[in-house]
Amino acid sequence: MTDKPGTSEAMIRFRGAGVTYPNGVVGLEGIDLTIQRGEFVVIVGSSGAGKSTLLRSINGLTPLTAGEIEVAGVAVPRRQGRELRRLRARIGMVFQDFRLVRRLSVLSNVLIGRVAYVPTWRSVLNLWPRAEVELAMSALERVGIVDKAYVRAGQLSGGQQQRVGIARALAQAPEVILADEPVASLDPVTSHQVMEDLLRINRELGITTIVNLHFLDLARRYGQRIIGLQQGKVVYDGSGSEVTDEDFRRIYGRRPGEDDFLQEPAA
Amino acid sequence: MSRPAPPPRQLGLTLGVIAVLATMTLWSAHGIGFSVSELVCNAAGGSRLLRESWPPDFAFLPRLIGPFLETLHIALIGTVVGAIIAIPVAVLAARPVSPNWLTWIIDRNFMNILRTLPDLFWAMLFATAVGFGPLAGALALSVFSVAVISKLFSESVEAIDMHLPEAVRACGGSWLQMVGLGALPQVWPQYAAYVMYSFELNVRGSMVLGLVGAGGIGMILETQRANFEYERVTMIILSVLVVVLLIEQVSASVRRRLA
Ligand SMILES: Nc1ncnc2c1ncn2[C@@H]1O[C@H](COP(=O)(O)OP(=O)(O)OP(=O)(O)O)[C@@H](O)[C@H]1O
Ligand SMILES: [Mg+2]
Repeated sequence: MTDKPGTSEAMIRFRGAGVTYPNGVVGLEGIDLTIQRGEFVVIVGSSGAGKSTLLRSINGLTPLTAGEIEVAGVAVPRRQGRELRRLRARIGMVFQDFRLVRRLSVLSNVLIGRVAYVPTWRSVLNLWPRAEVELAMSALERVGIVDKAYVRAGQLSGGQQQRVGIARALAQAPEVILADEPVASLDPVTSHQVMEDLLRINRELGITTIVNLHFLDLARRYGQRIIGLQQGKVVYDGSGSEVTDEDFRRIYGRRPGEDDFLQEPAA
Repeated sequence: MSRPAPPPRQLGLTLGVIAVLATMTLWSAHGIGFSVSELVCNAAGGSRLLRESWPPDFAFLPRLIGPFLETLHIALIGTVVGAIIAIPVAVLAARPVSPNWLTWIIDRNFMNILRTLPDLFWAMLFATAVGFGPLAGALALSVFSVAVISKLFSESVEAIDMHLPEAVRACGGSWLQMVGLGALPQVWPQYAAYVMYSFELNVRGSMVLGLVGAGGIGMILETQRANFEYERVTMIILSVLVVVLLIEQVSASVRRRLA
């Protein structure tokens, strides 16, 4: 898919979006953003800046307390219900801690991505229609671990488990993938492999992808667009190739140190 | 720095507690007519009874097979029915997955009430409804199993990792799918262990209920005792011992494997 900037349509639109948690902590404040269909966006910011809150507000896991978010023209409902479930079905999510049922097979885990499309009893009894199994298998092919389909998820390495997580999101045939620090529990080599997977999927399938990262070198390398958050507000929005160390200093409110890079920063 | 003085011994309190316990024990013994002299006198009668009860009547053994099967059937039905009903009861009473506060409160109290009442009470209740017999026994044990399993199981469900259910939600899953695919898969091994445990209790419970007319081995025991067939009674007690030990061994080894 080739989306020329300017002609592309808005996939996600934040309008004055804010989240204040029940305990009074402000997670997000006055967010106005537009993310185009097919974009690959990386969100950076120091711990507690609101990266997770931003991502989770897009699929309603964390409801907004101010403003609104539209995904493909549909406002994200603030209440649980069928409408929210329908929207979530179109948005895949990848987590730092993978969130797999370790006791179950890789295939069963990937099939969870199809919950919204099968009757409850079939999904709960693990009696998935053949077409759904087929979809799950091709999702596994796309991340290159279809040979592990019948292995228990808990027996895989971290990188492989995260690929299962990505396959589960892919099985949804989503329009958007949200990845919350998907490589934070992986070693450097595996981190790059998983980021490459996400980028390739974004290119091949045109799925709008938003990734939270806390390593600046990863952000710079993979982020076509980088959004910087600080204390719940957008403080940077620009292209990954142009972002400067000074921008990072501004986003973090301090000089980025060793811990902010996956590898040692080039001297 | 000077060493602190040891705290005062609470001698008075200790003596007081011993006195209260002693008084209560004596009072209770008097209440049920328990006395050492009577125990000694009855020992003579007891030894005669023991002599009459030996040797066990092995010829009676084949006639125990049917009643034993009936006892096991009652226990099995009670366990299966109870185990199925216990799942929703446990899930709704587990705080993090329960759909709302009201459901949680109601179900928790329901669970506690079930647990307060012993199996014998339920047997009497069902006997008035469907008459004395195996059916009343099975129904009583079903309720008893719901109480046992749901209490243990809901504690397991409360302790699960809620991140997984959230992932199911994020895929667009409903509440039922969240529970069935995100929550319960984490606790099926525990569930299986609780069901086995409940079956052990039910085998014993089913024998006791037999004594009050629910059929099975307990009922045979009661009829033989009433007919003074003490050698048969011994045979029954010995075989019950063997069967219960056997079932507990099997159940324990299965549970160990599940853990
Ligand atoms: N459920 C919650 N209840 C109350 N406060 C919360 C909750 N979740 C997050 N917060 C607070 O909201 C702010 C933003 O949190 P968020 O998790 O979005 O940050 P983050 O950028 O993802 O941080 P990290 O890099 O540590 O994951 C923080 O101050 C955090 O303490
Ligand atoms: Mg976070």
